[in-house]
Amino acid sequence: MKLQLALALLLFTLPASAQAKTPWALVKSTLTYHMTHPLHDVNGVSHTARGKGICEKGECNILIAVPVKSFNSGDSNRDLHMIEATRGAEYPMVVVRAKFPEAATQSSTIYADLQVQFAGQTASYTHVPFQRTRQGKDIRITGTIPSTCSDFKIVRPSFLTVPISNQIPVSVDTTWQPM
Amino acid sequence: MSRPASLALTCCCLLLASGVSFAQARTDRSPSTQPQTQISALSAPGVGPALSALPSIANLPDAPTPVQTTSSSQTTQQKTPPSSGEPTLQSLGFPTSVTRSNPKEQALLNKRTHMLKVHQTLGLITAVPMVAALFTGPMAKVKGRNGQILREPTPASLDTHMALGSLTSALYWTTAYFAIFAPRVPGVKKRGAIRVHEALAWIHGPGMILTPILAVMAYNQENSGEKVHGIASLHGPVAITTAAAYGAALIAVSWPIHIKHLRF
Repeated sequence: MKLQLALALLLFTLPASAQAKTPWALVKSTLTYHMTHPLHDVNGVSHTARGKGICEKGECNILIAVPVKSFNSGDSNRDLHMIEATRGAEYPMVVVRAKFPEAATQSSTIYADLQVQFAGQTASYTHVPFQRTRQGKDIRITGTIPSTCSDFKIVRPSFLTVPISNQIPVSVDTTWQPM
Repeated sequence: MSRPASLALTCCCLLLASGVSFAQARTDRSPSTQPQTQISALSAPGVGPALSALPSIANLPDAPTPVQTTSSSQTTQQKTPPSSGEPTLQSLGFPTSVTRSNPKEQALLNKRTHMLKVHQTLGLITAVPMVAALFTGPMAKVKGRNGQILREPTPASLDTHMALGSLTSALYWTTAYFAIFAPRVPGVKKRGAIRVHEALAWIHGPGMILTPILAVMAYNQENSGEKVHGIASLHGPVAITTAAAYGAALIAVSWPIHIKHLRF
């Protein structure tokens, strides 16, 4: 009799838990783009990204957005030139959507498929590795998005007639909390 | 409790469980399931007369056509719509002022960059006659035919020096025009090397005004058979200071310089 009751309760609660959503919120972030030139090596940093994530039906969908203008390279003239080159006034947000299996949230390396909207273009990157570490109830996700200027049809700025490198990898350091 | 009663309880729980499961299921069912539900409802007994009272398909009004949105200065940056359940850009709570596309500001930035690129190119070109003028200045004290040092410049070297000085001045002020009249972006606080670059303009700018004035004074004094004296004798030192500040401004705007693995 007790077994039947337990079974009935289990059946009662299972569908509810199977359909449950696990929402996550981005609480801290550091996004850094790296720009290289034969005469310069520049890092632009932003801490103003916002993000949310939902894990349901075995898949996690993450959204992170950051204003283009929020990146600071330590030189206001360069930052304005960056906004101009990336059409940042016309397309003011960088939006990153990430997808990965919910099961991967327990492993130390998460391979995510990314869709990045930037400079009026959308680029996709598959199987991008991110490192996951648990810090108390927080989850820290770090990694690098291997973006390039040509992915977003950005005309590479030049200095002394030499253009910058096509590679502009973006380092991602984010801390997430369950909502 | 008897066995039938416990079985009945189990059945009730199963029914409730399935009910909860449906309640939590997403409402965006595939379109193919909806017509099937409608057909089964319409084929129920007693529905026939009601069905005949409905207007025929031919008499139904056209479905509304989707409105295509176009981006303008008033619209916010639109994204490809995510499938339901995924977080949206709007849900992140950015103010509209941050997410709004601003083509006017983009045009302003484009113009600013164009003008500053011209400023950069002309600035580098200006450095060539400026350095040449610095070298031809001391060359005014050339050796004469008999090997003696000429205290006064020969007409040839003086003309070259004057021509280079004039060219430098013309190029300098053209370069300055593109920096001074490049559009300013409101609300931007200046940071980094640009501050040093602009501060140095307060040295080489007045220097580029003073140097030709002192040059004319020195020229007039020499032409009247006088030894260059007074403030005119500062033509050389002022020119050197101006060129040094100009060179420093060129380096400052490029700082920090990083040549492969060498950092300066």
